[in-house]
Amino acid sequence: MDIDRIRNFCIIAHIDHGKSTLADRMLELTGTVSARDMMEQVMDQMDLERERGITIKGKAVKMNYHGEDGDYQLNLIDTPGHVDFGYEVSRALAACEGAILVVDATQGIQAQTLANVYLAMEHDMTIIPVLNKIDLAVAQPQRVSQEVQMAFGFKEDEILFVSAKDGTGVSQLLKAIVERVPPPKGVSNPLRALVFDSAYDPYKGVVAYVRLFDGSIGKGSQLLMMSTGSNGDILEVGNFLPKLTPVERLYAGEVGYVATGLKNVRECRVGDTITLTEQPASEALPGYEPLKSMVFAGLYPADGDDYLSLRTALEKLQLNDAALGYEPETSAALGFGFRCGFLGLLHMEIVQERLEREYGLNLLITAPSVAYQVLMDDGTEVVVDSPAKLPPTQRITEMREPLLALSIVAPARFIGTVMELVTARRGEFRRMEYLQGAVSQEEQGNASSDARVLMEYRAPLSEVLMDFYDQLKSRTQGYASMDYSFQGYQSAPLVKLDLLVNNQPVDALSLILHRDKAQQQGKALVEKLRTLIPRQLFEVPLQAAVGSRIIARETIRALRKNVLAKCYGGDITRKRKLLEKQAEGKKRMKRVGNVEIPQEAFLALLKLER
Amino acid sequence: MDSENNKEGSALPAQIALYIHIPFCQTKCPYCDFNTYAGIEPLIPSYTKALTTEILHWGALLGRPRVSTIFFGGGTPSYVPGQSIAAFLDAARRAFQVTSDAEVTMEANPGDLFGEGVASLPGLGINRLSIGVQSLDDSLLKVLGRRHSSQEAVEAYGAVRRAGFANVSLDLMYGLPNQSMEQWRDSLERVLSLLPEHLSLYCLTLEEGTPMQQQVRLGETSEPDPDLAADMYLMAEDLLGQAGYGHYEISNWAKPGRESLHNLTYWHNQPYLGVGPGAHSYLGKWRFNNINSPREYIGRFGNFSKAEATVDALSSEVISQVPTVGDVETIEQPMEMAETMMLGLRLSEGMSLDGFASRFGRSLSSVYGEQIRELTSLKLLEQRDGVLYLTEHGHLLGNEVFLRFF
Ligand SMILES: Nc1nc2c(ncn2[C@@H]2O[C@H](COP(=O)(O)OP(=O)(O)OP(=O)(O)O)[C@@H](O)[C@H]2O)c(=O)[nH]1
Ligand code: SF4
Ligand SMILES: [Mg+2]
Repeated sequence: MDIDRIRNFCIIAHIDHGKSTLADRMLELTGTVSARDMMEQVMDQMDLERERGITIKGKAVKMNYHGEDGDYQLNLIDTPGHVDFGYEVSRALAACEGAILVVDATQGIQAQTLANVYLAMEHDMTIIPVLNKIDLAVAQPQRVSQEVQMAFGFKEDEILFVSAKDGTGVSQLLKAIVERVPPPKGVSNPLRALVFDSAYDPYKGVVAYVRLFDGSIGKGSQLLMMSTGSNGDILEVGNFLPKLTPVERLYAGEVGYVATGLKNVRECRVGDTITLTEQPASEALPGYEPLKSMVFAGLYPADGDDYLSLRTALEKLQLNDAALGYEPETSAALGFGFRCGFLGLLHMEIVQERLEREYGLNLLITAPSVAYQVLMDDGTEVVVDSPAKLPPTQRITEMREPLLALSIVAPARFIGTVMELVTARRGEFRRMEYLQGAVSQEEQGNASSDARVLMEYRAPLSEVLMDFYDQLKSRTQGYASMDYSFQGYQSAPLVKLDLLVNNQPVDALSLILHRDKAQQQGKALVEKLRTLIPRQLFEVPLQAAVGSRIIARETIRALRKNVLAKCYGGDITRKRKLLEKQAEGKKRMKRVGNVEIPQEAFLALLKLER
Repeated sequence: MDSENNKEGSALPAQIALYIHIPFCQTKCPYCDFNTYAGIEPLIPSYTKALTTEILHWGALLGRPRVSTIFFGGGTPSYVPGQSIAAFLDAARRAFQVTSDAEVTMEANPGDLFGEGVASLPGLGINRLSIGVQSLDDSLLKVLGRRHSSQEAVEAYGAVRRAGFANVSLDLMYGLPNQSMEQWRDSLERVLSLLPEHLSLYCLTLEEGTPMQQQVRLGETSEPDPDLAADMYLMAEDLLGQAGYGHYEISNWAKPGRESLHNLTYWHNQPYLGVGPGAHSYLGKWRFNNINSPREYIGRFGNFSKAEATVDALSSEVISQVPTVGDVETIEQPMEMAETMMLGLRLSEGMSLDGFASRFGRSLSSVYGEQIRELTSLKLLEQRDGVLYLTEHGHLLGNEVFLRFF
């Protein structure tokens, strides 16, 4: 197809504003997915995506659109809205000329709407603003339209109104895409294809998801990865329909996939440029910043014998999840396992669930930690991503913790509430801005409590990590949204809190925290642990300590009674099944010293009320 | 060798215990999850016929083995007419070689034990009664949804004695919602003053799906405190010991020589046959149970009159062909060993090392050495003179011991 008839665009929005549902309607209208195969969020095929109703991985699809003046090839990339996967948005943007900005007309601009728009602007993209969910009675399209005009400088007639649910306005949107998004530019030689994602297929090897900027590519040639220098024999090229569908060749301007013939995903980094060995390009396309793990936690097999299976599973999972990092670690309490790096807590949960489901493992995961920079008395600096690995206090001269730029959007009546929450989490206020909707210019001075504000803070990652988002949501009755990005490191008076179970420190329960919070957290933690660790055959003392100072204690009383009274009418099987269940439960616990500790206990930290 | 056995089946047992299930109750108690029903009394006649057929069927199939204990359980056996009981016993005597001194127990509710009914029971051959007294506190009887009062329970006991029963067991429950130590002591003392031959004390378990469990979950009934239940158990152990009862099984006490022979069959892991809907059996290498629904049970035996010819050996095929059998499970030797431990250690006579070795052809320590070492160091088990026992401390923590064998 003529390059002028191609349009590449992605859909960006705050989480749940309807990106995937909008994609459904486009697939339907263009006849890409037949009515028979249609289902809600048809591109979210992963079990976890369907269960949670969110997009986890970005996806591309090629559509054939019959425009008034002939056919067009539309390549759509749907992006995930969750902040953990925000990096996918910039990858998608780099592969497109246009972006559809979806804003939920019942909610208006949210924190990630802002973040995504700024990203798109940096990429110099054509942005098409779309207000969604106008079928809902509570939608306020006029007000949100004004908000969008004010905040981003769109003109009124640029904004489209749709319902991704019932399809209203979607054909106008397709028309607008063809009109407004510029066609790709590209020369016919040499090949330059940007890898915006990759996956491992047991049959095809490493499959690169690419946007061709220049040249063309087909089966049989040899490719060269410009940054790693790896060569591969191209086994297949094709389009996403949305299933991988082979074609003869892909041409400049198109989005598609390349089965690279490479065995290892590391040879095919996302962000790298593919060219041909025979006729290489001289300059690579601008790539991406490598991903940075934000959160670290220990993953251990509940049954020590599964260590090797866990390693194999991690290797395989990493083939499809480049954001997952891991290295071996040993815990006195938990044995052999891996310290894993994640993009955030959702990512961590997803990795754990996939390992358990897809690889049949029973895992134990420790409380997550961030990575600290530790300056030593000999002038060296070490990075500590596990409290257990913190060097002795007397050798430390300074500790620095990772910092976030945190933006929160909420109705003005919650300013106080948000302020209070963030301050309690050691956040530092930076600035605040009203997002004006229906409020006229004159009214701005005495903005009504209905107006919404953007609040920006700097806050330690460790304080935002755990339950901050839940707290924010519940304290603002669900109205607040947030977004964050990494901002560097900041020096802080941090200490290590140890937990002693039956007088033995349990390394997997240690945590690093601000000095002023040790007392209160230590107390809360032993209280929580008391409810999470079942009674044992003997009394078990629980203590929280900073250094040699015990700051909180609790006792788990000894178990006194666990016996079945009656064997009714000779139903031995039932009795035995009960015992087998109890035995099974015990196996899932971790034995630390003499004490059996259930998996939940290692996540006690996450469940603390603060 | 084992798998050979499996193919050929097991030899027919020479002796079995017989359990007869009566799935009728006047009302259903809120804590009860037994296979029993209220409001299906019209089924009693056809049930009597079906159950009689099942007894005869099994007797023929197994070649009339010896039976020295029969146990009518339920449900409420005392709630069905004497003719039905008579018909079952008659069938049992025709189907099996019931020994002349067989222990024949019937479970009974106090409310059913007045009038002529009870007087006729000894004549039918019932020689042991197990009465569900549960408590002698009227407020707790109400919590349990029992239909009798404490007064009626005591009077029923008198009637039973007048009818000539010389072997009577009483059931009591503890660990009840809002039950105090004083209430428990009072019930125990009053029950002891009646001088029963046997006592079973059961801690209330909140079974999944029962109305009482619901009430507790919704906070309408307070959840019993397990530590208090432990104290109640210890108090009972004390009082019953002083009164001369032997604590022969975790939940059972008896005057010397008055232990329940039928229940000892279970704890010794010996063969038994259960008849009636939902009844469980253990014959040869197989544990199996009948289907639960009385209606379906009756349907399956209703037009089944031909008594089966005796089989040469038992096998899961033979068992599955009995029309009312539901699940059949093969118990291989490792499982049989674990079950033998779980059951045998409940008894105060303990698990004899010789007994184990002669049953399985392997020494106990070669099979469970590690577990026994651990449990001994935890002071839950002790070994004396070639016998392994639960310690006193271990009585209340029996599950912690048993689960280590699975
Ligand atoms: N009423 C109504 N509901 C909609 C509309 N569009 C989407 N939804 C609903 O909004 C919810 C979120 O839709 P998705 O399409 O999954 O949103 P998303 O932006 O892809 O979400 P993430 O990928 O998790 O960021 C779903 O329950 C949709 O059914 C709409 O136009 N009207
Ligand atoms: S009388 Fe016994 S069997 Fe019947 S419902 Fe009550 S507890 Fe259950
Ligand atoms: Mg989505």
